[in-house]
Amino acid sequence: MFRNRREGLALALPAAIFSSLLFLAPVAVLLSEAFRGTGGGFSLQGYVDFFSAPLNRTVFLRTLKLGALVAGSAAVIGYAAAFCIVNLGGRARGTIFGMVVLPLMISPVARTYAWIVILGRTGIVNGAITGLGLSESPLRLLFTETAVYLGLLQLFLPLMIISLVSAMENIPRDVIPAARVLGASWISVFFKVILPLTKEGLVIGGTLVFTGSLTAYITPAILGGSKVLMLETLLYQRVNVSNDFVSASVIAMILIVMSFSANLLLKKIATARS
Amino acid sequence: MNTIGRTTANWIILGLTLTFLIGPFLIIILAGASDTEFLAFPPQGLTLRWYAKVFTVESFRASFMLSMGLAIFGTLLALVLGVPAAYALNRYDLPGAETVRTIVAAPIIVPGIIVGLALLRYVVVPLDVTVTMALFMAHTALVLPYAVRVVSSSMHNLRGDMEEAAVLLGCSRFQAFTKVVLPNIRGGVLAAFILGFVTSFNQVPVSLFLSGPGVRTLPIDMLAYMEITFDPSVAALSALLAFMSLAIVFVAERLLGFSRYV
Repeated sequence: MFRNRREGLALALPAAIFSSLLFLAPVAVLLSEAFRGTGGGFSLQGYVDFFSAPLNRTVFLRTLKLGALVAGSAAVIGYAAAFCIVNLGGRARGTIFGMVVLPLMISPVARTYAWIVILGRTGIVNGAITGLGLSESPLRLLFTETAVYLGLLQLFLPLMIISLVSAMENIPRDVIPAARVLGASWISVFFKVILPLTKEGLVIGGTLVFTGSLTAYITPAILGGSKVLMLETLLYQRVNVSNDFVSASVIAMILIVMSFSANLLLKKIATARS
Repeated sequence: MNTIGRTTANWIILGLTLTFLIGPFLIIILAGASDTEFLAFPPQGLTLRWYAKVFTVESFRASFMLSMGLAIFGTLLALVLGVPAAYALNRYDLPGAETVRTIVAAPIIVPGIIVGLALLRYVVVPLDVTVTMALFMAHTALVLPYAVRVVSSSMHNLRGDMEEAAVLLGCSRFQAFTKVVLPNIRGGVLAAFILGFVTSFNQVPVSLFLSGPGVRTLPIDMLAYMEITFDPSVAALSALLAFMSLAIVFVAERLLGFSRYV
């Protein structure tokens, strides 16, 4: 540890100043916009106006609902998948884990576009439906909440699996066989042994998936369009279509508050553990 | 349940999960090869013309170059700022170290779309900064947290007394850094570069509002293109981008054991 504080500051400050001036300062000004009344001064009118519009309320609730649904589904699939991965031995485990992580490195636009191929008018699902004679004309599957839900789940599921795998690796090896030998059913093994021991992983994964879904832009833009708006796509519309910067600022504040509280929660868990 | 039944169930669950995660990529690879004027799956006839067309679309070429430039130079600048910061946070008794850490990490927490809008409203317009410059600054700030985190963790594993020994043997502090620290954290710096490059290249929300005439990053350009055309070229381009990421990750894994750093 070097004691020369001035030297240390000289090394650390450029990065901190860069981020504050070019990143945080403009964001702070933007957030203050919704608190400014018409004559200057402090006002909450922007927030009142925002939430009194039915469309905005719908979008707000839909965003929360989809976020919760995606996080919940990711937890269910994630537990099953993580349990299977942890059960694998040596080589296979590394390969499968790598295949789960890989999609995270690929452009989300490319990842989301695949769902247009699957759900579009001339896509696989509609091909099967019309081919089997279940429906005369192709169904509208794109621009629905289901499409957005599937896209988000595919995008963020790896984060949940990663968190749960690393949580499960820390379960002592013998506790599950021990519980089984002592007569516990698989259901009670899950609720009494696995769940309590992986709670942290679940919270971390769940928070990442939930906030990821809330602040996603690409998926609702491609798969939801203007029919299924979420907060980010609504913000984009408010700015680019109606030039409404007060609403944009309100949405920005909602997104930041949610993102920050999720981050605080994660930090708390991390410090409680160490 | 017997062991064989369990193993089978295990593989069925994994198979389904991986189909859901990776299957869509196989689909776009094939959809991009369909010999039709519109997107079709299963592909009707196989052709590489859409893959070839991607390279002839003028706007894709321009936006690819812009995205490449932002990803490379933005990440380099982030490393120039981030490596000294990581060093200071690790080796110096800094007043306000926690504040510095929080500020530098903030770009990960603030949703990108807000940053893009804020930069447009309060930097680009009033200060007459070009959109390209704003994109460059935003992408740099965005990558900075990854640079600091990855480099920090590889510096953390390096014992501090090695530099002190170098200084005692007559190196200046700076020489000790370039001759002792830098060679030892090379892997971490490279891993940070790759992670930063991929993050910046794939980034959409930050760049959303920061587009001007002729200035668009590749993913934004793809979003705009798919609104007006339904031919398989976006599928082909998506497949190519997926291959590019795979190649980068594969090479990085082979050379560095990349996954250790992420």
